[in-house]
Amino acid sequence: MFVILVYDVNVKRVNKVLKKARKYLNWVQNSVLEGEISDANYKKLKMELQKVINEEEDSCLFYTFRTTRYTNRESMGVKKGGEGVFI
Amino acid sequence: MKKVIYIFSDGELKRQDNTLKFHCEETNRFLPVEDISDIFVFGEVSFNKKLLELLSQKEILLHYFNYHGYYMGTFYPREHLNSGYMILKQAEFYQDKLKRLELAKAIITGALKNIRQVLKYYDNRGKELKSFLERIEEYEAQIDSCREITELMAVEGNARECYYQAFDIIIDNKDFVFEQRSRRPPKNHLNSLLSFGNSIIYTMVLSEIYKTHLDPRIGFLHSTNFRSFTLNLDIAEIFKPILVDRAIFTLLGKKMITKKDFEKNMEGIVLKDGAKRLFAEEIDGKLKTTIKHRELGREVSYRRLIRMELYKLEKHLMGEREYKPFVARW
Repeated sequence: MFVILVYDVNVKRVNKVLKKARKYLNWVQNSVLEGEISDANYKKLKMELQKVINEEEDSCLFYTFRTTRYTNRESMGVKKGGEGVFI
Repeated sequence: MKKVIYIFSDGELKRQDNTLKFHCEETNRFLPVEDISDIFVFGEVSFNKKLLELLSQKEILLHYFNYHGYYMGTFYPREHLNSGYMILKQAEFYQDKLKRLELAKAIITGALKNIRQVLKYYDNRGKELKSFLERIEEYEAQIDSCREITELMAVEGNARECYYQAFDIIIDNKDFVFEQRSRRPPKNHLNSLLSFGNSIIYTMVLSEIYKTHLDPRIGFLHSTNFRSFTLNLDIAEIFKPILVDRAIFTLLGKKMITKKDFEKNMEGIVLKDGAKRLFAEEIDGKLKTTIKHRELGREVSYRRLIRMELYKLEKHLMGEREYKPFVARW
């Protein structure tokens, strides 16, 4: 499954969320990560985030795709981060 | 499926925030540790023990290659699938001459069938390969009558030689003529491509073996020795034609790699960095390609097929189902 994670959390917790999410997904730009993820890891990620965020004031959004075949990704301006397995 | 990371740049691989970070002059990239199965290191990369700890914990294999692109070794994390039973079975089949021969025959049959499949494709595309196809078929017929592993190896060697002759017709480029197989070091351009590609496949199979109960030290076709892993060499025989050789034909056919991408040093010819990267990308793309599996009825990638090959071997060793090698259909 492919997932795009977008989060808007209190500044105090931004780093915590980022650190957790980086274990599973590729950082794309501020507060946005994306990547291929397995069902089990998706659950793990959600649980880890749940522990970090304050459900009263923070929000995390997950967009999931079974496949990326019918999606298209365009970018404008600077490429800040992303995927690619060849470094 | 988890990803394979290929590092060609020079830099530092670090553990940070319980994930991996590659730090070099151009980029500073975090790599999602949960989505990585192996790391291939070609560049000059430094790392420390706490990184190895994380790799062990996450069961990630780290393969390293030297400056010339030769396979040097693998950081093989603690075995996580321990099975005394499977090792005993493997040893039993290795020591029983008939059982070992039977398995070795199956592996070579698979390899030759896949070789024929590759040749057939180019034959249909108007290359004159009929005579080669016939000769490979003859060698295939000889497999059955072999009584010794050495005999079998000889048949395989001859078949491969005949197959490599066909490369000249398929590639049809005077910069890349085959002449003869030379290794350590490869003496011409085509040979150095073959060596590099094969070493990637050998290590990829090793990675897949790590995820099964099998022990990479006990191979069946290649005899077990004191030094190296051999089971990965066995299984790689089956996949070399369809993964490495096809990648070579693509790269040379599209002129993505030319004579300029090589340099001569120390008696041999080696690939330059850019070309290594292109080649690795091509093979990685192949490994990710999916095909419809007839028995399972769903799409599986070539990488998964390698693993399934190992599962079939396990089944054979346990006496559940006879091992039949994978044969490509196109």
